[in-house]
Amino acid sequence: MQTFDRELDTRGLNCPMPILKAKKSIAELDDGQVLRVAATDPGAVKDFEAFCRQSGHELLESTAADNEFVFLIRKH
Amino acid sequence: MTKRLKAAERRASILAVAKVLFADRGFHGVSVDDIARRLGVSPAVLYRHFPSKEALYEAVLDEIAGTRESYIDAVLDGPDDFGSVLSRMTAVFVDSIAADPDYLRMEMQAALEHSPATTRFFEHRWKSLTDYVEFSLKELAREGLAAHVHPLSAALMFQGIVREALYAKCIYQSEYYRDYDLDTLVARLIELFLRAIGYREP
Repeated sequence: MQTFDRELDTRGLNCPMPILKAKKSIAELDDGQVLRVAATDPGAVKDFEAFCRQSGHELLESTAADNEFVFLIRKH
Repeated sequence: MTKRLKAAERRASILAVAKVLFADRGFHGVSVDDIARRLGVSPAVLYRHFPSKEALYEAVLDEIAGTRESYIDAVLDGPDDFGSVLSRMTAVFVDSIAADPDYLRMEMQAALEHSPATTRFFEHRWKSLTDYVEFSLKELAREGLAAHVHPLSAALMFQGIVREALYAKCIYQSEYYRDYDLDTLVARLIELFLRAIGYREP
């Protein structure tokens, strides 16, 4: 299982709040460190894919279970 | 004679006509017969695509959900201070609503018809903006970049001014604001809002 260095809970928030919070959290990480984000907005899947594509960070994992989404993002 | 359409085209034409009628008269003010008459087909044609008026109304709402605004570019492209991001997000939202004001009319009708589920659906569309204001204000106040105002009230205030601008330009088409296009009007209102919350750029 992929480990992570910081965790961010954005459950209950509508996009783009999860992205904004993730952007802020990632800025405080070192290169190579991993952020775990939990979200409930169904739009988050598409948004985090776009966020990683545009920002150059690596989306290591994107999983969904019980209306909850979890993303693991490695800072680059 | 009614032109024969492929199933997908027929479905799309039913949804388009239903949306206009629901926007004008609300859910309760429109019957399946009304929609069929406007389309020039029999009600049986409608029932082949939608089992009930409720299902048809839900399908119109689903279309709205499917065209939900994407704020990714607004969030990532450009300065990331609160005022700049709020301006870009609001521009995305306002342009999307103004492109099809029938949805705004449906929202008004839903509120008048006391339909909690539908009203919640439309409120959800605003939530991206109101969440952003509410949650950012807590941080801004901590960082000394805004006054200590009640975040939830500020979010409601913001929703109110944007909604009123949309009503004035897209629904009432008020002569009073004819010298200002929607984007200009909204930009000025955002400026006033930022002043009201004591915002200062970092």
